[in-house]
Amino acid sequence: MEVQRQTNLETFSSKDLEKALQRIKKSIWVFHLNTGSCNGCDIEILDVLTPWFDVERFGIKLVASPRHADVVLLTGPITIKTLPRLVKALRAVPRPRLVLAIGSCAVGGNIWFNSYATLGGFPNIIDKLNELGIIIDKVVYVPGCPARPEAIIYGVAVMLNLIKQKSHYKKVKT
Amino acid sequence: MVKFVKVIPIAVKVGTVTIKYPYAKPLVTDSFRGAIEVNPSKCTGCGACTRICPPKALSMSIEGETAILRYFIGRCIFCGMCADVCPEKAIKITKEFELASEQVFDLYVDVEHEVVTCKRCGSKFVTSRLLNKVEQKLEEFPKELLYLCPRCRRIEMLSKQTYLR
Repeated sequence: MEVQRQTNLETFSSKDLEKALQRIKKSIWVFHLNTGSCNGCDIEILDVLTPWFDVERFGIKLVASPRHADVVLLTGPITIKTLPRLVKALRAVPRPRLVLAIGSCAVGGNIWFNSYATLGGFPNIIDKLNELGIIIDKVVYVPGCPARPEAIIYGVAVMLNLIKQKSHYKKVKT
Repeated sequence: MVKFVKVIPIAVKVGTVTIKYPYAKPLVTDSFRGAIEVNPSKCTGCGACTRICPPKALSMSIEGETAILRYFIGRCIFCGMCADVCPEKAIKITKEFELASEQVFDLYVDVEHEVVTCKRCGSKFVTSRLLNKVEQKLEEFPKELLYLCPRCRRIEMLSKQTYLR
């Protein structure tokens, strides 16, 4: 019954997501997806996996196939050339489909936000992915150019609801 | 196999290198640059930071009755150019880097300014605070020209000169 509910795209509600996140709490496997990044953020992701930060103490492990992954580590501003591969890779990820957009490129497009060759960050294509039937259950944005290894670990903790996020929308009047 | 054994005494000598990140404080040096913070009591809304910002993370726009200086942390590259260029020293570089959020909306910071309307055409062209500052600096500037937008000011100046002849 549970498996049937998961496979149905329409009936996967936020309650089911919470249940799935509880199941995922034990340890998550990550898949690294580069969409035209400058390799800065990729090196930081490698840093997180080295013995210095040793993220395997939290059970986080890098896998080679999106079919094995719980979380997709997405870097880069999503160039036009990588878009078909991105769609293919994200379609292969099982539900709940979690994405960690790392670096200012993936969050807001960085200096390429207006470029003809990029889509200017992950937020711009979420709706189009939904139209294609690839529903992204949760996205966590990790700004930074490149994002610090600590910031990436913090982002994973925010994704798994272990801590509450610090940043909130602010509006100040002079 | 024999080669691997050589690693063991080295590993024993070095010991554990892993940092205890969530519990131990991360390494943050004095020169580290994190997210910026705009001091709303000092900012005049001149827009110097929006011009220098390489990815245009800072942007100035006039919406309705207010001018908004919008800072999008998601696009910021933490270069600190805005803090260098700010004439009022209103922008401060903080050490904050744990900025992860679930919504893009949470990564925006807005600073609202009051706007002066042009006395002739009624368009909004500058923040009132910047106009006051300019008024203090330029004592001999004719007052009736100060409250006109750049286009109307040009027309006013030209019409004055033509009438004189």
